[in-house]
Amino acid sequence: MTSTLTRRRLLHGSLAGIAAGLSGGCAKHRSGRKAVVVGAGLSGLNAALILERWGFEVQVIEARERVGGRIWTLDALPGSPEGGGNVMGANYGRVLKAAHDLQVPLRSPPRTLPSDYFVDGQRIARDDWASAEANPLPDAWRSIPPSRLMGKLNASNPLLQTRAWHDPTLMASDTSALSGLSALGFPDAAIRLIGANNSYGNNLDETSLMSLYRVMGEFGRLSGPALAVKEATKGNMRLPEAMAGQLARPIEMGSPVTAVHQSSSATRVTLASGETVDADAVIMPLPLPALRRIDMSLPASQTTLLETVDYHKVVQLHCIVEAPFWERAGWGGSWWTDNLLGRIFTRPIPGTSRFNMTVWINGDDCDALNAMDEATCIDRISRALWDLMPDAREATSVGQLVRWSNDPFAGGVWALWRPGQAATAHAALRAPVGRVFFAGEHTAEAYRGMEGAMESGERAALEVMRLLA
Amino acid sequence: MNQCWRDLAISFALICSTNAVAQADSLTGEQLYDIACSACHSLAHTPDHHIGPPLGGLLDRPAGAVEGYRYSEALRNSSWRWSLPTLVAWLADPDTAIPNNAMNYVNPMTAEETQRLGEWLLGES
Repeated sequence: MTSTLTRRRLLHGSLAGIAAGLSGGCAKHRSGRKAVVVGAGLSGLNAALILERWGFEVQVIEARERVGGRIWTLDALPGSPEGGGNVMGANYGRVLKAAHDLQVPLRSPPRTLPSDYFVDGQRIARDDWASAEANPLPDAWRSIPPSRLMGKLNASNPLLQTRAWHDPTLMASDTSALSGLSALGFPDAAIRLIGANNSYGNNLDETSLMSLYRVMGEFGRLSGPALAVKEATKGNMRLPEAMAGQLARPIEMGSPVTAVHQSSSATRVTLASGETVDADAVIMPLPLPALRRIDMSLPASQTTLLETVDYHKVVQLHCIVEAPFWERAGWGGSWWTDNLLGRIFTRPIPGTSRFNMTVWINGDDCDALNAMDEATCIDRISRALWDLMPDAREATSVGQLVRWSNDPFAGGVWALWRPGQAATAHAALRAPVGRVFFAGEHTAEAYRGMEGAMESGERAALEVMRLLA
Repeated sequence: MNQCWRDLAISFALICSTNAVAQADSLTGEQLYDIACSACHSLAHTPDHHIGPPLGGLLDRPAGAVEGYRYSEALRNSSWRWSLPTLVAWLADPDTAIPNNAMNYVNPMTAEETQRLGEWLLGES
């Protein structure tokens, strides 16, 4: 069997052709084995680079016309805002090391402007939150801003070990965030505010309480003055692009995979074009909604899981602001709302007088927006924005709409575990099936987000090397 | 996909339980360090701090003692000293070895690989 790829849409990075060597490594370790990596996000690229470093022939196949997966810098817009992964945590060792080694410059993100509130139709200035009549929280909770209410979970966080978030013993007591927060004494108004802009669930009823503990525990570990987040100075997508540029073999771009099937000695990957690639092992570092689209003859138990794990819904409308219209009214420039607009994050575009403003809508509120055609969706969000702040109309132009759930190669921004689900689903979804290995942030143990993706690629490379060594 | 491949695939899926392919388990200590450690730890004998402290000169070194690194209180106060048994115990499950440490790492290696990595790291020291 030989590769039958004939149509080449290849990405050549500036350093393509140099067998990568971040450390150690190389040609002296030629294994004569071939691995295919389906997807050029951070996870797949990290796995591919490790395997190449140790002598494997690696072919990365990417469905999109760009690398990066859920890292997506909107380069066509002033300020190049991030449509996808936007934060490199201070403890993201793998991400930061890769950026350092590949000379991708990082910076502290420009400061997001202070946030005021719109709750129950009332504007509340940020400094007035605790005393405002429209603040719905009871006395003991009134001073906590809506965005920090979930942090109260850390007072009862039972996740003391890194892998505890899917520990079956702890998971036995997992519950929905809706009932769990109530049982912990969170007032109804606090629960409603948490649910209004929850980045870690589509609705509190289907959100695992333990998954919220996991996120809050991570944030707790990150607190401290010395630990500041980073972003790539010229856009986070520069990192996966630099990683792709290190690969000895160019990436096959614009080539969705439709099937992966195994014989007893090899694995065949079929592309939408009908072309095929044979390999000794295949890594599938894809988000589950993308994985569902690929015929893999998986065991029934795994197929069922693929269908049941939910993905977080995010709609973003990226706008450009020509002048700080909020200043005349004494507003900060960003907003937290309990209405359709969700949160509005505004930050200056360095070196200019303009601003990037992102309307960031989470969860089930996205359903109706995702069902609209693009123009109608933009109009719906824009009108809500102008209704809330008429002064914005003259000063703001729409840049780009991003709807992650509608992206067939993502299906959402990250995996959401239903109550109790992680106890079994996490291990099952990362377990190799024959010569097919799984990666991606949903399979990571210690981290989520970009670092989780890198961590999972590391583990998948280890599994492939263990098999083929 | 032709019928032959589909039949093979289905047969394989039926007989294949998770992780059923034989595992050679012969990765070297250097490979294991590269895959599992090198993103966060150098092998320097000097205070070359990345996200984690350097691993050079580990043998018989007290845990949490490289100058200039911000260790967790748990590691600093552990009274551990690095030897093959302590290093392998730490690598195998850091959270159990020294609770409340800051490494935030879950080891994907087998027990044999962990042992081999520990031996290699101390040999590099």
